[in-house]
Amino acid sequence: MNAWIVILAVGAGTYLFRAGMFVVLGRRSLPAWTATPMGLVAPAAVAALVASLLFTSGRQVGAVPVAELAAVAAGFLAVRYSGNVMHAFVAGMPVFWLLDAVVT
Amino acid sequence: MSVVTQSLPTEVGARVERSVADRAGVRRTMLEGARDITPMVIGVAPFGLAIGAAIGASSVGTAEGLASGPAIFAGAAQLSVIQMLDSGVTPAVIVLSALMINARLLLYSASLASWFRGSSLPQRLLLAIPVIDQLYFTCGPRFEQGDLDRRGRVAYYSGAASFLTSTWVATQAVAIVAGARVPESVGLHVAAPLALAGLLAKSLADGKAIAAAVCGGVVAVIGVGLPYSSAVLVATLCGVAAGTALDHAAARRGEGPRSRLDGAAVR
Repeated sequence: MNAWIVILAVGAGTYLFRAGMFVVLGRRSLPAWTATPMGLVAPAAVAALVASLLFTSGRQVGAVPVAELAAVAAGFLAVRYSGNVMHAFVAGMPVFWLLDAVVT
Repeated sequence: MSVVTQSLPTEVGARVERSVADRAGVRRTMLEGARDITPMVIGVAPFGLAIGAAIGASSVGTAEGLASGPAIFAGAAQLSVIQMLDSGVTPAVIVLSALMINARLLLYSASLASWFRGSSLPQRLLLAIPVIDQLYFTCGPRFEQGDLDRRGRVAYYSGAASFLTSTWVATQAVAIVAGARVPESVGLHVAAPLALAGLLAKSLADGKAIAAAVCGGVVAVIGVGLPYSSAVLVATLCGVAAGTALDHAAARRGEGPRSRLDGAAVR
């Protein structure tokens, strides 16, 4: 029961975030000075999410997730050079498997 | 989709915009959106499987688990909800934490919404449903090319969103229903940060974006212990502030026009 309430509450709250600006900006536009900060939300937020996922949902909580960090670095570099987001897995997963086998 | 077949007022003062006035044009533009988002969709599929497997391995019920994907439609927040439900965290804390992680969507919606100004309110409320990183990364750059009128943008966005959402929900459902018991050594838990690392690589258009990302990542790590996952939101705001400050400093030093740094700015 609690799970349903939590899931629906998160879903409703998240939809309010999504719809909020679609409602407010129906006719108006944002002031020009917001353009630069708005363009920086994506890099800042995604970097924060990656860091947070690496250090909170790893298997050894509190320890430095070496294999995971190396895999993410490899995936990042692969996409940086190829421009194709699929390559994150092509490069990242083998690095994880290799290091995971060596480290543990 | 009803979103794109309803008649829309014609664009006034249009630039050189491609006409998608007929059904064939709408369908072609929807397919273009679906095609352009394909790498993102393939990138997100392992993430969906990982969340499905996490749900299967948790104490969260199958029905609740299946519903959580379409209800939240944001992987990092959904994963944290599942993990916290599984470890018996207080409901209010779970909700607050997930909303902290998703606060960025308010800012994505602000820049996506500006492309649909003049659409009816019901249509804008529908367009708001799938707002998420992958869609933002696909549609923003495409719309900036300026050759799609609003109707074309709606078609492109709908095509991309349909493909992304259906794959996301389907991969989770497959993993939950199949009850995949994946050994830890397969490393499915790396799928989530890897999917996002790919997006990160695509988002670093210039120096100020790199500054925003470095600051966001570092603050998120330092603040891991902050309550209610607020580190993610705090780190995002710090990153945006750092990048903006760098941009202002560069402008004041007179390192060329600011427009040089503003190449990837959203409307």
